[in-house]
Amino acid sequence: MNLLVALQIGIREISSHKFRSFLSMLGIVLGVSSLIATLALTTGIERGTREFMQQMGGLEYVNVVNKEISNAQFEFWNLSPGRTLRDADILRQAAPLISHISPELQFGASIASDSHSDRKRVSGIFPDFFTVSRHELAAGRFLTDLDVERGLRTAVVGSEIASLLWPTLPPEAVPGETLLINSRPFEVVGVLPKYERERDKQRQAAGGKSPAGGSRGRWDPFRSKNESVLIPYSTMFYDFRAGAFPLDSMESVRLDNLTIRVGDLKNFSAALDQVRAALEITHRGVDDFDLDTREEWFDRMETSIRATRLSGGLIATISLVVGGIGIMNIMLASISERVREIGIRLAVGARGSDIFVQIIVESMSIALIGGILGVGAAFGLIEVLKAIAPGENIPVMTAAAVLFSVGFAVVAGFLSGIYPAIRASRLNPISALRYE
Amino acid sequence: MPLVQLEGVSKIYRLGDQEFRALDGVDLTIEEGEFVSIIGPSGSGKSTLMHLLGCLDAPTAGRMEICGSDLSRASGNRLAEVRNREIGFVFQAFNLLPKLNVIQNIELPLVYAGVRAAERRRRAEEVARKVGLGDRFANRPVQLSGGQCQRVAIGRALINNPRLLFGDEPTGNLDSATGEHILGMLRELNASGKTIVLVTHDPDIAAISRRVIEIRDGKIKREYAP
Repeated sequence: MNLLVALQIGIREISSHKFRSFLSMLGIVLGVSSLIATLALTTGIERGTREFMQQMGGLEYVNVVNKEISNAQFEFWNLSPGRTLRDADILRQAAPLISHISPELQFGASIASDSHSDRKRVSGIFPDFFTVSRHELAAGRFLTDLDVERGLRTAVVGSEIASLLWPTLPPEAVPGETLLINSRPFEVVGVLPKYERERDKQRQAAGGKSPAGGSRGRWDPFRSKNESVLIPYSTMFYDFRAGAFPLDSMESVRLDNLTIRVGDLKNFSAALDQVRAALEITHRGVDDFDLDTREEWFDRMETSIRATRLSGGLIATISLVVGGIGIMNIMLASISERVREIGIRLAVGARGSDIFVQIIVESMSIALIGGILGVGAAFGLIEVLKAIAPGENIPVMTAAAVLFSVGFAVVAGFLSGIYPAIRASRLNPISALRYE
Repeated sequence: MPLVQLEGVSKIYRLGDQEFRALDGVDLTIEEGEFVSIIGPSGSGKSTLMHLLGCLDAPTAGRMEICGSDLSRASGNRLAEVRNREIGFVFQAFNLLPKLNVIQNIELPLVYAGVRAAERRRRAEEVARKVGLGDRFANRPVQLSGGQCQRVAIGRALINNPRLLFGDEPTGNLDSATGEHILGMLRELNASGKTIVLVTHDPDIAAISRRVIEIRDGKIKREYAP
């Protein structure tokens, strides 16, 4: 008997007991939909994080951070000058695998236009900053080496600052305006675009709530990028920092931030080694710095995704097993109902294996239909998830996840069909024919 | 060469430690083209004999040769194959599949013989016309009368062109006129060369055959020609 005939019989049998078949499919429907939803959720998290990380500088981005000194080195701590511009210089010379180096000074200041003012953090930077942090421009230009060299009072501002200080002007009109930082006039030369997550963009495109109202109180990873006030490093030092510690020079002042960009990811660990070796010299052997890479972040993300996947997968597997038991139950009931039919089929020449195939195919068909219904339910479930937790990453349903889940369901159908099929195929034709 | 040859065939059922000899050392030969009746009261072993002859079961002891192959120790699959190709059954209770229509019921043995769908349908329609169901192709068994059901069953028994046709009380559920008609059909089939074995408890029905075998307590009691 070929599979097509078995399939026809199976479909006929399922459709002649629609409600019963539906009930037996329910476990599979739930299992498949929860499996797909879990996979969609983790895929969403993965994509969201990846995309976010790309916008935050990508894997190439490395942050040189301060580290608590160990007890053994406690007595030498003041030997190390900490992170300074010398670090940047030595990295430029001794770490060729590092393509960009961005030292940064920060300062809380009042910023004002003619009509509005606020307190924000101002950063003094070098042009490399724009590459390391992957900035783009909405209008105007970036700060250049010339700005830094001459200590010009020029500034590049983030979109939030632009709309805060000049709410009536479009971003294109902001360059040329005068920005007061602690009452000192700066010329705005560039405006950064509005950075936001894909999801927020989509919501806005769909005509949702205004971005300011919608994201208030919720953690926005791009908030600090959007609220940047960037001025040349030298201007920052001479205008705002030099007076505080008169002994500091521009070279020896401690940096608030030192970020670098690895030129080629293929040489990632070699590049980090170069950085460590170089900084060891400027820090005079004091182990007071650390390299914070996105790789570790990636690992943390992978770990949390794996945990989500595991718990979701466990729930889905349990419901698929329960669903399989449901199918087995219904197949056993269906067989004892059809003993006579099986007897007739045997009498006209069906072999045990024909009956086996017929029952297995029927069981798999129930699972397959349940799986397909489960895909439909998953669409609904994902909508519900979006509605419940709109702040999280959007779940993404992939074809691979759908195929995997439905395949899993069919396997469950196959496994749960085996026992009933064996029982059916072992029926004795004579007693089966006599069965009332 | 005989179509059926039994030598010392026994069928023993065990219920716990009790032994029940349903058939006890039966010798029987049936030639191709014969019309044989097996009669006996219920419990005599005539059904067991038919089950063995019809390859629904294998004997406990003795030699059984059907359609030229020794089936004394045959496997379930081998028996199924012989049932499928060489044997047709017509049962008292028709034993049609209620969810299938006339054509689907008739073509059932071809499904297990591995015949393609189009060919199955063509042959089933041909047979359905032959047994007088030319206008009933799409009906289900519940929509048919008893006589029509039995015609479907005969059609199903004939579809694989078997050499051996069994009737197990084929008129038992029919009124006498319809029963006569069905018996007439069997007689015609025999006249066209089919070997027919009729199992009945009614000597009058057995009288249409040319050879009657009477079974009592698992043994052939006597054999006569009516």
